[in-house]
Amino acid sequence: MQPFQFQSPTKLFFGEYTAASAYESLKELGSSNPLIVTDANLVKAGILEPILEAFPKNGSGSPVIFDDVPMDSDLHSVQNAVNLARAKKCDGILACGGGSVLDTAKAVNICLTYGGNLLDYQGLNNLPTKLLPLVAIPTTAGTGSEVSLVAMIKDSDEGKKLLFGSRFLAPDLAILDPQMTVSLPARLTAATGLDALTHAIESYVALAVSPISDALCLEAMRLLFKSLERATTDGGDIEARSDCLVASTMAGLAFTNSGVGIVHALAHATGARYGTHHGATNAVFLPFGMEFNLEAAAERFATAARYLRISTNTDDQKAAKDLIEAVRNLILKVNLPLSLKDLGVPEFKNGDLEELAMLASTDAAIMFNPKESTQEDIVAIYTRAY
Amino acid sequence: MPVFSSSEELLHVMKTLWEAIKADPTMSSQLIDSRLVGQFQFREPDGIITIDCSDGQNFKIIVGPTDIKPVIEMSMKSDIAHEFWLGRISIPVALLTGKIVSKGPTPKALALLPIIRPAYSMYPKILEAARKNVLVNS
Ligand SMILES: NC(=O)c1ccc[n+]([C@@H]2O[C@H](COP(=O)([O-])OP(=O)(O)OC[C@H]3O[C@@H](n4cnc5c(N)ncnc54)[C@H](O)[C@@H]3O)[C@@H](O)[C@H]2O)c1
Ligand SMILES: [Fe+2]
Repeated sequence: MQPFQFQSPTKLFFGEYTAASAYESLKELGSSNPLIVTDANLVKAGILEPILEAFPKNGSGSPVIFDDVPMDSDLHSVQNAVNLARAKKCDGILACGGGSVLDTAKAVNICLTYGGNLLDYQGLNNLPTKLLPLVAIPTTAGTGSEVSLVAMIKDSDEGKKLLFGSRFLAPDLAILDPQMTVSLPARLTAATGLDALTHAIESYVALAVSPISDALCLEAMRLLFKSLERATTDGGDIEARSDCLVASTMAGLAFTNSGVGIVHALAHATGARYGTHHGATNAVFLPFGMEFNLEAAAERFATAARYLRISTNTDDQKAAKDLIEAVRNLILKVNLPLSLKDLGVPEFKNGDLEELAMLASTDAAIMFNPKESTQEDIVAIYTRAY
Repeated sequence: MPVFSSSEELLHVMKTLWEAIKADPTMSSQLIDSRLVGQFQFREPDGIITIDCSDGQNFKIIVGPTDIKPVIEMSMKSDIAHEFWLGRISIPVALLTGKIVSKGPTPKALALLPIIRPAYSMYPKILEAARKNVLVNS
């Protein structure tokens, strides 16, 4: 067994209607005036109401809410949230939303805690001390950001995504309340579910695997294969929602310790260039990335295929191919596109492919891929996936 | 016992290595084209070495503290640096676990790694020769 490290500083609560306990939990963590980070859709959908009701009615005034988070967190939005939190003297953060909201909250926490310029904290393990209390309530079942040690923030002026990675970025508490995901529309349920499945599959074959993350990955895959289609077709099916939510957190715990791989690198580059949704973009690349990795990962893919009862084939190559086929079928069943063209990416022009390949080959995710890739390999996958 | 017995020995080895990289036309031209300014900060024993290719023409190696502001910084124990140049360490795992701390845009740091990879094979000889040199001169 290779040496490994596994950490998760985040406490987890799971249960229907547990989101209402967020304020109480923040108080226990030492924050009585948290900044609530969320987005306008969620406020409009009334998702926040049970959480807000638990805030004290008297005293320091109404809860401080920042709801201007765009899809894919960006620097401007982080700065605006920080300004509000400073003006209102907030002493902690309650993040309620999808990955964009959670990542924004993590970056806001860096600025609130240390002051100074967020850009100085870019990098890996580059945060000096613990941050202010942060409670995360995911409303999508996908990114795993509620337990992950990373945040990605878009620098819209430069057209780049900035990476922050540190154990101090993990929220203190993640409240997994499946009711919070019920209003998520079918397409986003499918797309975020495929993000979670991509985490589980990539992390299962990544360079920094461990038996602990293996167990999380396999069980996350099982829950997603079992329930993602149901959660997509019947958003009110709370058992299916619960399976997807817990699976996405398990896959988050796995990838934040073991890494992801080429699928994420290709998707990050595509998302940065064309603004496509992270999960839906991963879905397009997942079967192609698995095929690329077959040489290095057939045995592990085969083990997963047998665990999931997708294949009984004793030949690893064949069982691994059965898993790739099952992934394609699941993507079809949940009505997500299987090609970049169907995802809405415009036809590549001169230089586009080279630029994408450059972005993907220097994306942190690719470091953990089990097989090394050249620029030509990456261009070939982009071309095939179009 | 640390691999390097003193800051002087560490910096002598690292400087000689970067001079060899600079003398290699392939590696140096790629680094100059990248216009990268990278700083390696070592602990136990301590030392700093900065590579400045910012003007796209010159390859400057600065040993010790400097006012130049690096784009990327990598800090690590000197023993980890030794393992790094021997090609014995998994860089992704070292970054993930904090054995190497990287500050600045991660893609720029990752773009640097394949460029300097040929220097791994130069390192053992440089280490051996530089050590003899330090012994002779001290
Ligand atoms: N930090 C990490 O570990 C990590 C991992 C993967 C992805 N990410 C990041 O996460 C982002 C994507 O997050 P996402 O996929 O969760 O999507 P998202 O947060 O961008 O949300 C997508 C849309 O869904 C809406 N939405 C969210 N929850 C809803 C609900 N319950 N009901 C109705 N509408 C709802 C939002 O308002 C938004 O319009 C990307 O920026 C990606 O880079 C981060
Ligand atoms: Fe992801």
